[in-house]
Amino acid sequence: MSYQNDHQGQHEDEPVELECGEPGRDEEAYVRKQIELARRQADASPSAAIAAQQHQEDSPSLRIGVYICRCGGNISDVVDVERVAETVRLIPGVATAKVHTFVCSDPGQHTISDDILYENLDRVVVASCTPFLHEQTFRGAVARGGMNPYLYEHVNIREQVSWAHRHDPAGATSKAIRMISAAIGKLRHVAPLDQIKLPNHRRALVIGGGIAGLKAASDLAGRGIKVLLVEIADKLGGHLNQWGRVYPSERAAEELVADLVNAVGRNPNIEVLLSSKVKTVSGFIGNFKVAVESQSGANGATQKLNAVVGAIIMATGFRPYIPQDGEFLYRTEPTVLTLPEFVQLMRSISHDAKRLVYKEKNVRNIAFLHCVGSRQLDGVHEPSTDGRLNSYCSRTCCTTILQQALAVRTRFPQIGVFDFNQDIRTYGRGEEDYYAQASRAGVVFFRYNGEEPPRVEITPAGRAKDGALSITVKDALTWGQELTVGVDMLVLGTGMIPGQIQDLIEQMKLAIGEDGFLQEVHPKLRPVEVAVNGVLLAGTAQGPMNIQETLAAAGAAAVKAASMFATESVELNPYVAAVDLTRCTGEAQCVTQCDYEGALQIVQMEVDGEWVERAQVNAGLCAGCGACVAVCPHRAIDLNGWRIDQFDAMVDGIAADIPGRECGSELVSIH
Amino acid sequence: MSNPFVPKILVLATEKCAYPGADAVGKAHQEYPSNVYILRVMSPVLFPEDFFLRSYSRGIDGILIAACGSDCPYHGAYDRLAARIDQLTSRMNAGGLEIERIRLTAICTVCIKAFLKEVAMMSDNLHRLGPVDRQLAEQLRRASVERLQASARSRELVPALQGGLR
Ligand SMILES: Cc1cc2nc3c(=O)[nH]c(=O)nc-3n(C[C@H](O)[C@H](O)[C@H](O)COP(=O)(O)OP(=O)(O)OC[C@H]3O[C@@H](n4cnc5c(N)ncnc54)[C@H](O)[C@@H]3O)c2cc1C
Ligand code: SF4
Ligand code: SF4
Repeated sequence: MSYQNDHQGQHEDEPVELECGEPGRDEEAYVRKQIELARRQADASPSAAIAAQQHQEDSPSLRIGVYICRCGGNISDVVDVERVAETVRLIPGVATAKVHTFVCSDPGQHTISDDILYENLDRVVVASCTPFLHEQTFRGAVARGGMNPYLYEHVNIREQVSWAHRHDPAGATSKAIRMISAAIGKLRHVAPLDQIKLPNHRRALVIGGGIAGLKAASDLAGRGIKVLLVEIADKLGGHLNQWGRVYPSERAAEELVADLVNAVGRNPNIEVLLSSKVKTVSGFIGNFKVAVESQSGANGATQKLNAVVGAIIMATGFRPYIPQDGEFLYRTEPTVLTLPEFVQLMRSISHDAKRLVYKEKNVRNIAFLHCVGSRQLDGVHEPSTDGRLNSYCSRTCCTTILQQALAVRTRFPQIGVFDFNQDIRTYGRGEEDYYAQASRAGVVFFRYNGEEPPRVEITPAGRAKDGALSITVKDALTWGQELTVGVDMLVLGTGMIPGQIQDLIEQMKLAIGEDGFLQEVHPKLRPVEVAVNGVLLAGTAQGPMNIQETLAAAGAAAVKAASMFATESVELNPYVAAVDLTRCTGEAQCVTQCDYEGALQIVQMEVDGEWVERAQVNAGLCAGCGACVAVCPHRAIDLNGWRIDQFDAMVDGIAADIPGRECGSELVSIH
Repeated sequence: MSNPFVPKILVLATEKCAYPGADAVGKAHQEYPSNVYILRVMSPVLFPEDFFLRSYSRGIDGILIAACGSDCPYHGAYDRLAARIDQLTSRMNAGGLEIERIRLTAICTVCIKAFLKEVAMMSDNLHRLGPVDRQLAEQLRRASVERLQASARSRELVPALQGGLR
């Protein structure tokens, strides 16, 4: 195999050959022509296909297996898979090209590993669904066949071909051929890669001791993993400490918290640090170095603690939205409360109370207003001071409002309850019952349009009359009639906003979504992982969730973390920068482009018996962005698995007219 | 060649954002022309200028760099990318290669409409411009490679240190 980088060719003055990749669309005829051409060339040996020759020089031993998936009919209903197989079989180096109904099935995967063994394949391409679904699956199959998994290339002919070009079967077929031929081109330039192995420290850091952190910690410790639980407050439990009975179980929140806190306290594997803050985080999966500052000492003195952990679970929770001054008269009128304030008010009132008394006044009518600080619209709502508009739904306020409305009607039947919503989102199991029950209990519902939120004013009678408020709404339930309701208490259904963890986000290089919450890699396929390996998300740090969802996410994060500890060492995809010492001159252009501390450095080393300065990559710290690659005047640094020459070859595969033939590259490869 | 011109469009789609975004288009049963070829990249900041010019010289008519924008998972990568593409664009402009052939845009994992819009826009532009001037692209590629090489420091090699000196 040659790893000649074609930027390094020597043919400075040769003319450019430009016969490949000519414009033209008649792909059917094109494919037939190519097959015909290749056959004739094969017959007319010794002057066989130039491409074959050129390829032979490059890599005499290539035996590529290509597997094309029908995906039931998902692919083959559009793409002529037989024709694809027939065509790619002609590409030099392809030893076998097979069509399978489900390559991901057991028999499908066996075909691949068997062919590697019995047909001596040394490269494999699978053309199937998106790599996010089965790239790992097929790398596994390839490894089981005894081949290095990085000699495998995945081609997406479902999401990006058959499903995207349903009404253009000929075009889809031609695109599939080109994309496979691009993959084959890349495989001519790949070398085996080893996963990066690093020691794995079997200890987890959980940041945040709300229910998410408590659950994650106790699940992890239950699997025998040591946990360091760091809580910034002087108490565990998070927001649940403030709520009374929680939906849908109507269990007391404090009981729930107590259960979890006891489980954590009982477990010797867990070390809890209260009134503590994670000051710095560095390192990588299996090897994070953290510094914690703690005020929990006997006399409140600051203590510093350093630890090495293998995984970090972010369970820092949410903050409740605090309305801006004057927003729906909040902080202007004492009778305007937020939902958390109201929940706490209800909780503080004794069970046998017959009246709801607030600020020494008897409450007779309460209005609840949904979506305050959530589902905000550009042009309708004022952005908060940091310029953010919360366009998301906080998901827990609807059910909490209905729960509280129902509680008011049940405990104080004399109080009138009015509910102003855009729609009711009681999405979770058992939550819809609150709506049904609240309706039956006489809660009166109004529906407003998000673009026209209700107007809240002090009634003309004003302060004299108990600070009464009037709420005016264009009510969709009465076909847009403008209605006004007088109440003496207004509860703003405030939702959740992201926690204040900017320092951690920056240090750990975490991604945040448009909503400002921590962002997962993929909402469906990898819901609790983040782009930084070894860091997991638990609970509302990731976005609004109810208790059930929070605990489910925390459990999932714990299992993910536990599975990371299953091995002595951590294995990372080797997609990191690599320096070619035969080219590097130690000029450090690359180093200036790297934003990851310690990832890329100039060090002294011995090369060919001489001490010289050369670039060196720390594979554990390199994020694999490749920022360094572009600037090297010697093309001495490249990104493993995603090298420039591999991309060049893929472009050739796409642009070339003869599938698999590198498009005059030896002629244009001027350096 | 009696066939009508069908441009070859290369999309460099980031693995965290635009590639899944392009998947989302297919999953939503939306269609776009089959002459759009998508390559998965970690971050397009990887590519030296000459990679783009080389692609044109090989017959790629337009390149859409579909990145993550402010959602880029790598520190500083997006800003560097933007600066590099800016420079490439002005070099193309100065060299006479139509700058509509390159475009940097951000496509998120669910940005179906944005993806379709960008592809349609590129497609329209390329139909208007016709096939890329491959000879010219090749000239610019060589110039770019030469410039990159010239950025090497004048001294040949870092003076070798003596074996025992450390
Ligand atoms: C008004 C209201 C009522 C609700 N009622 C219900 C209900 O009845 N039923 C239901 O299912 N759900 C309800 N919810 C939702 C419920 O509160 C959440 O699902 C739950 O609190 C999420 O737990 P958490 O651990 O993710 O976050 P939190 O409860 O916010 O806990 C996070 C913890 O992390 C700590 N922390 C934050 N930053 C740091 C840091 N930098 N370092 C260390 N520690 C840190 C915090 O101090 C806190 O202890 C309600 C929500 C609201 C707003
Ligand atoms: S490998 Fe992918 S494309 Fe093939 S059957 Fe399985 S899911 Fe479908
Ligand atoms: S790939 Fe990115 S992180 Fe790695 S050395 Fe290069 S610039 Fe640094």
